[in-house]
Amino acid sequence: MTRRASPKLGGYAVLSALGLLAALVLGRPELVALTAPFLLTLAAGLVVSVPPRFGLELTADERVVEGDDVRVVVTVTAETPVEQLDLYLRLPDGLALKDGTSPVSIALRRGEQRELELTLSAKRWGAHTLGPLYVRTRDQLGLFVWEGAVLQTPVLRVYPREATLRRILQPRETQVFSGSEVARHKGEGIEFADVRPWAAGDALKRVNWRASARRSELWVNESHPERNTDVILFVDSFAEARHDGGGTLDLAVRATAALADAYVKRRDRVGLISFGGMLRWLQPGMGTVQLYKIIDALLDTEVILSYYWTEIEILPRRTLPPNALVIALSPLLDRRSVGALLDLRMRGFDLAVVDVSPLPFTPRPKGGLDAVAYDIWTLHREAVRHRLNRAGVAVAEWRDDIPLQAVLEEVRSFRRYARTARA
Amino acid sequence: MLGDVACGAGLVVLLVGLAVRLPLTVPWAIVLTATGYLTGRAERHHVDGWAAVVGGALLLASELAAWSIDHDRRLTTESRVVVRQASTIAALVVVAVLVGFVLIGASGISTGADLLVTAMGVAAAVAAVALIQRLVRS
Repeated sequence: MTRRASPKLGGYAVLSALGLLAALVLGRPELVALTAPFLLTLAAGLVVSVPPRFGLELTADERVVEGDDVRVVVTVTAETPVEQLDLYLRLPDGLALKDGTSPVSIALRRGEQRELELTLSAKRWGAHTLGPLYVRTRDQLGLFVWEGAVLQTPVLRVYPREATLRRILQPRETQVFSGSEVARHKGEGIEFADVRPWAAGDALKRVNWRASARRSELWVNESHPERNTDVILFVDSFAEARHDGGGTLDLAVRATAALADAYVKRRDRVGLISFGGMLRWLQPGMGTVQLYKIIDALLDTEVILSYYWTEIEILPRRTLPPNALVIALSPLLDRRSVGALLDLRMRGFDLAVVDVSPLPFTPRPKGGLDAVAYDIWTLHREAVRHRLNRAGVAVAEWRDDIPLQAVLEEVRSFRRYARTARA
Repeated sequence: MLGDVACGAGLVVLLVGLAVRLPLTVPWAIVLTATGYLTGRAERHHVDGWAAVVGGALLLASELAAWSIDHDRRLTTESRVVVRQASTIAALVVVAVLVGFVLIGASGISTGADLLVTAMGVAAAVAAVALIQRLVRS
């Protein structure tokens, strides 16, 4: 902590010096009586001024979900008497003080321990660093002030609140491991596929007796096996539209967390690509560990201004396995992300795009050239969506007031229609 | 008349300092008020016994003004802090008044008033220089 003299110290010193000098020059004892209190205060303050010693500890819940309350406790332990201790905990954006007092001024006796409890409201997902915790204290007579800050403060991880999805997009191709998706090829499974003549090695339980009776020879059932799939969640973090504390990136992150949760539960392999100024990726994996890795990676997602033209080639090959379904959540604001999506489609990836609409976050200007520019911009967005549709990519616009489930249903219906058209 | 003007000016400076929260105004207000008091006693040659009380009152005004200016309104101050601060100021003022009375009393018991005043002045000047040196070093 740094020590500084309060304005009172300098003022009293000058008053004392002036008063005594004047007493000497004018020869008036009253001047000494007027000056003595200030001199006495100075002398007493310099003698008794001892830096207060105390310990500070800041603890908080480590993980919460968006919208929940967070309990933060500041524990102060005084080794010496503390006349006045001012404490201020700076809160990052995304956290708001719900209950408790900050900043606060307290006094402590020698050996006393106090716990100051604050209740914060986690308004937005992310990895929020609490603090710094600013501290200011003074001596008994207020002549010296000590100030400092506790810089090492806990990081609070606020997870996005996920929507519950009843039905999600089915990838077109499956992988080799057991899962919940009915594969198109035939093998061991529950879902009936076809019947065929019996061949050596077929188990007796697979014999279709009715078909065999009609054809007077043994026929067996064939099934579709249940397999897992590879799903890559593609989050566009090049640009976002924000208004009134909400933005397209918030929606995209929440939707990504919900999709990751839904696919992981089906035993699918889920990967993540955060495509923006800071490129991040997670290779596909299964299980709860992978889910937490994805959500922890999402917490660090933010829009970083960059002019660098990023392309898909720089991603490691294992990040985009063949036959994977790529679900992109993008506001389609940046040409680089649109270019990357078209590139993925041209490379033969199964792609679906959720257009996180920036229109609710960008109010239309009232009139004039601004309104014309706004209308041209919305037409440009329509053209981009049409271009993706023509490439065979299912695109559905998502606004905050529409449930994510409804948007996924729109994407499903397009994919069904597109498949029929190609056949 | 001149003494009243000086005291009035001191009061105005103090009020301005409180309004704009400027600590520098407090010593000037004290100086102006003390000047007004001394100007009022210019033609009286005996030592004023109430000077100790006046000194205590100036200290009290200065402490309260400094407290008011230093107080950060954004802070929520618990009552214990206020009570301790008020108690400290009260004790300081009482002790200061007592010391003042002792000094005034000592100035009355003397073999020669001029000699005592001179000796007190020299001692005070030396003490002031020593104090300023200590402050500079610390």
